[in-house]
Amino acid sequence: MPKLGMRTRIILLFIFVSIGGLVLLNNVFQVKHNDIHNSLGKMELSSRLREIRLFSQEDSLKAETLMKEFNSTKAAVNVALGDSRIATSVVLFLIIVVSSTIFIFVICRLSKPLKELKRATEQIRQGDFSVHLPETGIPEMRELKNSFNVMSRELETTQTRLLVAEKEMIWKDLSRILAHEIKNPLTPIQLVIQRLEERLESDCDQIRELLPESISIISQEVENLQLLAQDFSNYAKVNQPNTEELNPALSIREIVKSYVQNYQINLELSDQLTIKFDKTHFYQVITNILQNAIDASEPDKAIYIRLYKERSYAVLSIKDLGKGIDSKDLPRIFEPYFSKKSKGTGLGLALVKRLCEANGAIIRVKSKPDEGSEFTLIMEDTDK
Amino acid sequence: MFELLGTRIMAGVVALSMLLFSSFQGNDPQLGAIKHYSSSSTLYLSGELLSAFNNDFASIFASSAPIPVYFKLNIKSGNRTVVSQQLTHLVNFNPATGIYVLRKDGESEVLRTSSVTQTIKEISKYKFSVPYQSSWGLISINIQAEMPLVRLEEKGKELDLMVLWKYKKPSAKIQIDLRKAQ
Repeated sequence: MPKLGMRTRIILLFIFVSIGGLVLLNNVFQVKHNDIHNSLGKMELSSRLREIRLFSQEDSLKAETLMKEFNSTKAAVNVALGDSRIATSVVLFLIIVVSSTIFIFVICRLSKPLKELKRATEQIRQGDFSVHLPETGIPEMRELKNSFNVMSRELETTQTRLLVAEKEMIWKDLSRILAHEIKNPLTPIQLVIQRLEERLESDCDQIRELLPESISIISQEVENLQLLAQDFSNYAKVNQPNTEELNPALSIREIVKSYVQNYQINLELSDQLTIKFDKTHFYQVITNILQNAIDASEPDKAIYIRLYKERSYAVLSIKDLGKGIDSKDLPRIFEPYFSKKSKGTGLGLALVKRLCEANGAIIRVKSKPDEGSEFTLIMEDTDK
Repeated sequence: MFELLGTRIMAGVVALSMLLFSSFQGNDPQLGAIKHYSSSSTLYLSGELLSAFNNDFASIFASSAPIPVYFKLNIKSGNRTVVSQQLTHLVNFNPATGIYVLRKDGESEVLRTSSVTQTIKEISKYKFSVPYQSSWGLISINIQAEMPLVRLEEKGKELDLMVLWKYKKPSAKIQIDLRKAQ
């Protein structure tokens, strides 16, 4: 039942008191009418008068007239009493019906703008600041609606300003990261070119000796630039997943194959699980997390990959014993362009999160500085 | 039609109001089932009013004003009214003698009695005899009782006796197939 406002309570109280008073008054009337009716019923004149011996015709006529007048009055009073009792109850009934109708009408009129206001507030809560209410109704309501409209307009303006500021900030951040990431490979290239130029002027014969190393450096840095471009491109275009049923244990074994020669990776995989995931996305997710684990660990430290079933879910855990993540950085690691590594765009884990969301998987992370990190992927096991 | 609708709404409002807010007893008149039989050309209809005069009517009769009771007969064949008749029963009380005189339409005999109970019993009964044509086929018979305004000469005013019936006009309906009745 909706909570009643003060005005509604007052109107309700007034209606109940007035109707209650009328019902009480009616009861008093009915009781008094009953008394009069009963007393009237006991009044008898005709039979008594008939018992009196009348000696003249004149007396008889007088007695007859008296009886007729008395009986007519009694009949008229009886009918009038009945009529007034019916009229009282009908009038009371009509008062209740009419006042209830008026009450319901007034309540509806009062609550309609409040409902409009509630709906508008709901829209604002959902982020739609374009809502404006028609400034109609009683003066207080018009004032309230006007204040609401002013507030929504101000919120709309503030939101637009914030969006512009946010966009500007994102562009600034992106430009800074891009400039930094592009500058990193460009500096060695520039240095190599400078060295070659110097040798060309001073010792032309030795240039041939320097060339292989210089070409290798330039080639490596160009490759880095390509990888950087690829990272940005991957993050920008996370496709609609083309999900298929796949055995995660098999996929993980395939991915890990190229790493096991250089790194110590312990596998504990349940082969009985099936998940629905885009194969390419799954590959990207696993390689990103695994690469992060490798980057964070010392070469002699093992990385543990476990795949197991928990209730109706396939759970994949990738755990390293590396340097771990600081607790203050932990909430930000899935944000784009957030990175604590000397190399990298900070898009890796952001991409992992987007890919997981696109495929209906959940990703969690636990980490302690100097103890290592554990990334857990929770996916629905379709082989129930 | 609107008059009928209005009467029904008013009767409904009065009945509901009285049920909720009044201790007025009055009377709740009902017309009993219509009894009928037919000869080759005449249809005889009879019945009685129930619970119509038990309360307050003794004092109304005692006013010595002539108190009429109407029984209105309406016979329809399809949508066509083929018979419309009215019987009037009249009660007249003489306060000097204490005698009730009852005259009933269609009956030559006048009833005189000192008993209010017998007066009420007799005034409640009605009898119609209606000449009919078998071509009417299936007929719908409706009988309704009511009381008109009564003028009290001594007081110089009119009384609406329907108050004592709580503005209800009791009625009874029946359908007869005259082809089968023969």
